[in-house]
Amino acid sequence: MNKYKAVIGLEMHCEMKSKTKVFSNALNNYSEIPNVNVSPIDMAFPGILPRINKECVKKALMASIILNCKQPEYLEFDRKNYYYPDLPKGYQITQMHSPIGVSGKITIDCNGYEKEVLIHDIHLEEDAASLDHYDDATLIDYNRCGVPLLELVTEPCFSNADEAIAFLETIKRIYQYCDISEADTRKGQIRCDVNVSIMDENSTTLGTKVEMKNVNSFSNIYDCINYEIKRQSELKASGRYDEVIQETRRYDEESGTTIRMREKVEAIDYKYFIEPNIPKYKINKDWLEKIKLAIPMLPKERKEKYINEYKLSEYDANIIIKEKDYADYFEETVQIGADAKSAANWLIVNIIGYLSKNDETLKDFYLKPQMLQEIISAQNSGQISSKQAKEIFIKCLEEKKHPKEFMNKENAQISDKDKISEIITVILENNPEQITAYKNGKTNLFDYFVGQVMKETKGKANPVITKEILKNKLDN
Amino acid sequence: MTELSIEKLHNLLINGEISSEALIKEAIAKSYEVQKKCNAFVTIIENAKAVEVTDNLLSGIPYGIKDNYSTKGILSTGSSNTLKNYIPIFDATAVEQLKKAGAVAVNKTALDEFGMGGTGTTAHTGIIKNPWDLSRTCAGSSSGSAAAVAAGVYPYALGSDTGDSIRKPAAFCGIVGYKPTYGMISRYGLFPFASSLDTCGVLTRNVKDAAIVVDAMKKQDEKDLTSWASKDMHLYESINGEVKGKKLFYIKEIVDESNYPNISEELKKHLQIFKESLKKLEAQGVIIEEVSIDKELLKTIPSVYVCISCAEATSNMSNLTGIAFGPRGNGENIYEIMKNHRTVGFSPLIKRRFVIGSYILQKENQERYFVNAQRVRRLIVDRMKELFKKYDALILPVSKGVAPKLDELNDEINDESTVLLEEHLQIGNFGGFPSITIPNGMINKMPVGINITGNCFDDINVLNIAYALESQMNYKDMTAGDYRE
Amino acid sequence: MNNFTREMVDEYANKLLIGLTEEENKLVLKEFNIIDANMQLIEKFPDIKKIEPMTHALDSYEYELKEETGEVESIEIEDLLKNCGCYEEREIKVPRVIN
Repeated sequence: MNKYKAVIGLEMHCEMKSKTKVFSNALNNYSEIPNVNVSPIDMAFPGILPRINKECVKKALMASIILNCKQPEYLEFDRKNYYYPDLPKGYQITQMHSPIGVSGKITIDCNGYEKEVLIHDIHLEEDAASLDHYDDATLIDYNRCGVPLLELVTEPCFSNADEAIAFLETIKRIYQYCDISEADTRKGQIRCDVNVSIMDENSTTLGTKVEMKNVNSFSNIYDCINYEIKRQSELKASGRYDEVIQETRRYDEESGTTIRMREKVEAIDYKYFIEPNIPKYKINKDWLEKIKLAIPMLPKERKEKYINEYKLSEYDANIIIKEKDYADYFEETVQIGADAKSAANWLIVNIIGYLSKNDETLKDFYLKPQMLQEIISAQNSGQISSKQAKEIFIKCLEEKKHPKEFMNKENAQISDKDKISEIITVILENNPEQITAYKNGKTNLFDYFVGQVMKETKGKANPVITKEILKNKLDN
Repeated sequence: MTELSIEKLHNLLINGEISSEALIKEAIAKSYEVQKKCNAFVTIIENAKAVEVTDNLLSGIPYGIKDNYSTKGILSTGSSNTLKNYIPIFDATAVEQLKKAGAVAVNKTALDEFGMGGTGTTAHTGIIKNPWDLSRTCAGSSSGSAAAVAAGVYPYALGSDTGDSIRKPAAFCGIVGYKPTYGMISRYGLFPFASSLDTCGVLTRNVKDAAIVVDAMKKQDEKDLTSWASKDMHLYESINGEVKGKKLFYIKEIVDESNYPNISEELKKHLQIFKESLKKLEAQGVIIEEVSIDKELLKTIPSVYVCISCAEATSNMSNLTGIAFGPRGNGENIYEIMKNHRTVGFSPLIKRRFVIGSYILQKENQERYFVNAQRVRRLIVDRMKELFKKYDALILPVSKGVAPKLDELNDEINDESTVLLEEHLQIGNFGGFPSITIPNGMINKMPVGINITGNCFDDINVLNIAYALESQMNYKDMTAGDYRE
Repeated sequence: MNNFTREMVDEYANKLLIGLTEEENKLVLKEFNIIDANMQLIEKFPDIKKIEPMTHALDSYEYELKEETGEVESIEIEDLLKNCGCYEEREIKVPRVIN
């Protein structure tokens, strides 16, 4: 099946984070209760006019800058006209003539190699209402109507599903890091249109492009691309490539296949024209500069820093940058003095596991970086053992108490050399036969002595110090 | 009393010689009379309440609202069956502003459906008749407002103007119609016809009243991004009648008799009255010059207007589907339901304009029709702005004469000969220019009007010139049937 | 130039979700001929393609975008449904829409 290569392009729609909607003052909030966050503007009552939410424009510009796009001189919007019950105005306000970013590019990591992705454009628009379908009726909920959407259109530049997913992951992370969007696929905040075509390995002529609309999770996008490549390749291999037509299909999750929706021939003419109710707005250079300066350190840079400065492994660094929350937590812990490697370890081994097991997020995680730092330094200074550290960690979370509460003197590890030395002296005095046997070559008795110390101290003696002193005393 | 000017009524109210209650009662009673004769209203607000009279010139005085303004809790139809039961949940900003000033709305006036049309014959409540002669049109689309103000129901009514919808009805009804600079009054809550041309404004019986009302309506509104700050512009206070040294121009290709080989007696008289008006201004020291503009450019005005307005209108009125508001259509599926609502709800004229608008927005046609029309719009506006560098305002006669007979109307796009006389007011909308029509004479016991249009933001100048001319003539505060020489 | 036909008029009307009578269709064609003739005039203007289309009434806008103030607008459900011909509980109801 390898005699063909695939060409894939993506359109990624992502709901943006803002207090209010992009063209109205209703809350931009998901709600289970229908029609609670709706203004007259969202309902398209006669006489309404759009406003512009500056926050959304700012965030869209930020995305445009990060993706190395060209920003237009003026902010401008267009109307996309069509009739559908989820579109109360009968048009969507979007950007066609002059998107907020064009001709960009970004380098992504994909399974260990770098890939440059070309961005056709990125633009700001509004979401439609949601339709709830029942057997006999459809109900319209306008909560989502007017929610800001950022649509990113790539050039057809991916050659397989892995690259496409790596790109989506990268963008998702950038949006999260910059607070542009929560980019939560579980909440349906990301929806993608995928186009796929195949061509002969040595050819430069593009094949017939098939578009899949509204694929909504990364794993579905992955499966959808692979299915479509397989479908087209099989048809081509069996001499039936004419059956691959320019059309719109949808991905059916249950069967894992794509299904025809409509042929491109009857494509709708959206009659785009410039929105006359929004005057052109000059995007001044100072504002762009300010936005540029406000861009936080992005995942890629952070990863490099973790590896170069904090000496983490690439594997660990990758896990930490996966979520901005992880990275922020990690960095804060290090900043207040924790050893970086220990902090990374704690985060990866204990915290992430705990979160997923308990279905929690770092935002409502009880153990703040300050507390973790305290546990780490207590352990690293030998004040507590690693076993104790883990116990304290769990107790803190269970009882919602500060780690200090569990690091009192009774529990503390004994690291005082004089004290340990004293205990060891007593033990040695009480075990003369064992000493003789040890000196005669029965060296595994060393562990017996360690065991005795632990028994005496209820396990609190610092094992490293204990071993050091014991060895000294026995060997001299 | 309601036939008096705002200034006079205010003084009477302040001095306690009349009460707001009495004025409102009178306005409502007159509304019923005028409704019987002219069919001017969609709603008469019977329970309109008197308010406290304050220093505000408009407080306690009744007025009318064109039915394409959204009024909270009061039926607002746009004179269309698609909204025949629609009761808005918010006030248009302009209405809100007047409420704040203490103005009392007593009726909603009928219009050509959604402002599309210039005859007053397409309202869902039927034909609107001219109070001067019931067999004649008021023009449109602010037909009901013009009829009511001319009939003396109240001193003013709100209008909206996309091509000439305030200024032509004013001329045909012998009153004042003022369309300020685009964006001076917020359009929030005005049912849109063509967003880049739509302007809120007012119909009154004298120039100062128009200034008073617009002073109250105007505001930079965060709900309308195209509105601008005019806080420092005090229209009423700035009117002083001093026009000495002002320079006006008229367009030869519209005014010169030689343009009309088969000129009617009526048009002859109309142009003669126009020239007499110019002399009156000249007598006050105004300089008036004739300017020639490329006739080929002028000839395109109506088509440019139709292209832009129809295209924007099709899109603007796509929200009228009967789903979230408006009577639900019949049908098996959602598309049938929406189509039924629109087919039954819109008048034939609007439907035709929609089809044209949709056609010219179509991808393969947009460049040739819509975008070219937008280009010519700029050509025309640039030419005007160039002239406004040299002149304070443009002055022209309105229409080819008096209001036509209703049975002689056709609502098709105008044909050749006098098309420019009928359509030149659209220039004012192309450029967003302030523009005012005032009565300047009578022909066969029917009024005719004259129009003054100035550069953007130059409203004070335009009002002042209109006021100076008004003061030299005998048509101020005229009501229908009040025949003056 | 003009190849606007009856069938096209009906097709465009249908796309707008509007039905036309035969009489209305005829009138559209007639009006359209006038517009089309004028557009031919326009196309002959020298350098017309070089002119920037005028999309707004005023060119001289200078305005500031508004920051989010936290001011939130929301319609009461009674108001939202007040003018609606058919709804169920909190939502507007239409016949099942098939994708």
